Amino acid sequence: MTHEVLIIGGGLLGCAAAWHLARAGLAPRLIEARGINAGASGQNAGSLHFQIERRFLEPGGTAHAQGGDIVRLNRLAIEEWAGLEDQLGRPLDIHMHGGLMLAENEADLALLSLKVARENELGLPTQLLSGAEARDLVPRLAPHICGAAWLAQEGHANPRILADAFADAAKSSGASIETQSRLLDLRRDGDHWQATIEQSGQIATARARHVILATGHWTARIAARMGLNIPLYLAPLMMSVTDRTAPFLPYLIQHVGKRLSMKQTDDGNMVIGGGWASAPQKMADGLPDLDAPPHLVPDNLRANLAVAAGVMPCLRGRSLIRSWTGMTCISADQLPIVGEVPAAPGLHVAAGGSMFTLGPLLARMLARSIIERAMPEEIALFSAARFAHLNAFVVPS
Amino acid sequence: MIDIAIIGGGPAGQAAARQTLAAGLSTTMIDEQARPGGQILRQPPAAFAVKGWMAGRLYRPLRHLLAQTEADTRLDWRGSTSVAGIERIADHFRLTLSGAHGGTLLARRVLIAAGCYDMPVAMPGWTLPGVMSAGAVQTMLKSQQLVAGQPIVLLGSHPLLLVLAMQILDAGAEVAAVLMPQTYGRTMRAALPHLAGAMFAPSPLIAAGAAMARLRLAGVPLMMGARPIGFTGDGRLEAVDYAWRGRTHRIAAQVAAVSYGFLPQSDLPRQVGAAVRWARPAGGWETLCDGAMRSSVPGLYVAGETTGVAGADAAMAEGEIAGIAIALDAGAQPASDMARAQARRARLQPFIDLLRAVADPRDVWPQATPETLLCRCEDISVAQVEATMARLSPMADASAVKHRCRIGMGLCQGRSCEHALVRRIAAAQGCDPDAVAPFRVRFPARPLTVDEIIG
Repeated sequence: MTHEVLIIGGGLLGCAAAWHLARAGLAPRLIEARGINAGASGQNAGSLHFQIERRFLEPGGTAHAQGGDIVRLNRLAIEEWAGLEDQLGRPLDIHMHGGLMLAENEADLALLSLKVARENELGLPTQLLSGAEARDLVPRLAPHICGAAWLAQEGHANPRILADAFADAAKSSGASIETQSRLLDLRRDGDHWQATIEQSGQIATARARHVILATGHWTARIAARMGLNIPLYLAPLMMSVTDRTAPFLPYLIQHVGKRLSMKQTDDGNMVIGGGWASAPQKMADGLPDLDAPPHLVPDNLRANLAVAAGVMPCLRGRSLIRSWTGMTCISADQLPIVGEVPAAPGLHVAAGGSMFTLGPLLARMLARSIIERAMPEEIALFSAARFAHLNAFVVPS
Repeated sequence: MIDIAIIGGGPAGQAAARQTLAAGLSTTMIDEQARPGGQILRQPPAAFAVKGWMAGRLYRPLRHLLAQTEADTRLDWRGSTSVAGIERIADHFRLTLSGAHGGTLLARRVLIAAGCYDMPVAMPGWTLPGVMSAGAVQTMLKSQQLVAGQPIVLLGSHPLLLVLAMQILDAGAEVAAVLMPQTYGRTMRAALPHLAGAMFAPSPLIAAGAAMARLRLAGVPLMMGARPIGFTGDGRLEAVDYAWRGRTHRIAAQVAAVSYGFLPQSDLPRQVGAAVRWARPAGGWETLCDGAMRSSVPGLYVAGETTGVAGADAAMAEGEIAGIAIALDAGAQPASDMARAQARRARLQPFIDLLRAVADPRDVWPQATPETLLCRCEDISVAQVEATMARLSPMADASAVKHRCRIGMGLCQGRSCEHALVRRIAAAQGCDPDAVAPFRVRFPARPLTVDEIIG
């Protein structure tokens, strides 16, 4: 069977790309090894964060400079999220009531002021608040919180339902979506790609002009099997959720100096995360097992909750119901890698950081790059071409 | 680091501790109750003076073991403590504890003898105050010397109801009725193949016979073939509806004690990655082990109801086997002989098979309506679950359903609804429940306050 576009992976990225391509009449086929939304798309904490992240403010490296590139993308992502419920025509628990990035001491505050000045230069309307102003917004913040950066468009969404919404919309627009369908092999065949797929015990092949690897943390390994180097590195994380409590926090909470994200869901639970590591299970050869859930690291759980309770002391009395782990990946320069891989014409990737917040936007851009046969200028900075040198010694097969 | 952590202070844990202590291994026993005994010998608070507590003949060996355990000063007893987490690190285990002895505990070996719990069964009105599990009613009797309320109706497929009825009568209260959905005929047919073997361990059979005679004498209607339909009441239980000989009846009740079976505690074995399988006939997950109670995780042993619900005598025998194996694996000398302990356990099997066959709930489940709540923590109805499953067809695992409709996301971690969801998925897909991937078990096994974790 020959398709114009074959999408590997039924997460947020793959399903959203399928929808955009289907609406353009390309009738894409999507295969997913497990179920829709079974990976990181459904396991992340659901933050919509558009301020420059803590990791881009950490001293050293080039990440600091790239914070600016992220801001430009984030402004587009804000527009994308704001229109999503209307576009998909159903409620998605998207809440963009604002977000606070907190400062607990003078050093935090200095960093925060620098950040706000920089964001304002780049056109992101963050505001610096005093501790008292922050507590006016969230009275339960600890008394020692001495400042916060406020961005009115931040918030959170429900990661458990978003990919389904894209998948359903894609199907109604003519996409074929097949779960329990695992990619076994992908290779070049003339001007097409040939995929070998395992589907309910049967092996089948499919040909496609374009293939999108919307495969999250599996992307680098799938590419490696094809002899391609995509600099994506495993980021095994953990998140936690408390019991329900009456609504008191309509905002996203982050911390400028420590790893923290915190929000209250529609159901009243507090979801706490912020980029704390879990430990991947290992395969016999010592490499991380990409299919198995990572182990919780109790010290990191304690540290994560201590940061949360430090800024929000009322959390101490709440019950932790569940901590869970999931895996995503970050790129060599911490910016997403999106688009066609120069050494492999027709092969497209999209992974590498903040893929929930940026996912709907990047999926649209990726689809556009296939439909228009040109990379949209808005995401040129994130093109896979910037790592083309890593494939300088690849022999096209 | 201690040699062996025993999770659960019931008959299995106690019997194991006897062996490990005799072998000179440093032994810590952790239990959620203040005093050892497990559910079968759920002790009154130390301040209570209860004359003739659990005096029945059946409880005698268990009481003897309990007295031995409580008198053994070598045992590091940690009551009023929950195990929230278990991980295997290199060649040992780390337990995360909460409660009276919170913190972490490192152990070279771990025995999970965590028992079982009453299987919650979703039927119309089951969340009304006054509808209780038979085990809860029995615990109030054993530990607090309280009858939960009157009039009390006992219902379900499990013969424990007969024992409970007798205990309620002994406490001086009345039983309005015992409603069992299986007929006499079915019960006899189920029991027949196992009767001859069970005669080697006849005391529970005699006890069941005595209970039935006692109920008849006391004028308690024991209605076999009476199928419970649901519970009604305005804000709390007022009556139980049931079908009997082709007609619907209503009987007034302040308390209903329900028992369709028990689910093995499986959260800790699953959290640490031990292999489990769907328990038969009633459901839930039993942890797999070899003849010496070793689980699939090196250094982790299981005994008692954790390995499949089989009663206190089997638990005691399995605990002994596990204790011997732990001592031998640690290079120490246990108090008892392995082959004899294994023979003692084997002799019990025919009676266990008989009880399982008689109690089998599978063709007598009460019917839930679309409005019936399947998940009472998150208020998720049967209709919501069915709609979610239909959207996910053809293939769905339990986690996929959970993520989309919140079933099992609440405080109980799915302990009360997971078994029912898996049965529904299996029925919809026409497969065995064993083939359905259940929820991924997460830390903590019991809700912990943030304060307890960060200390």
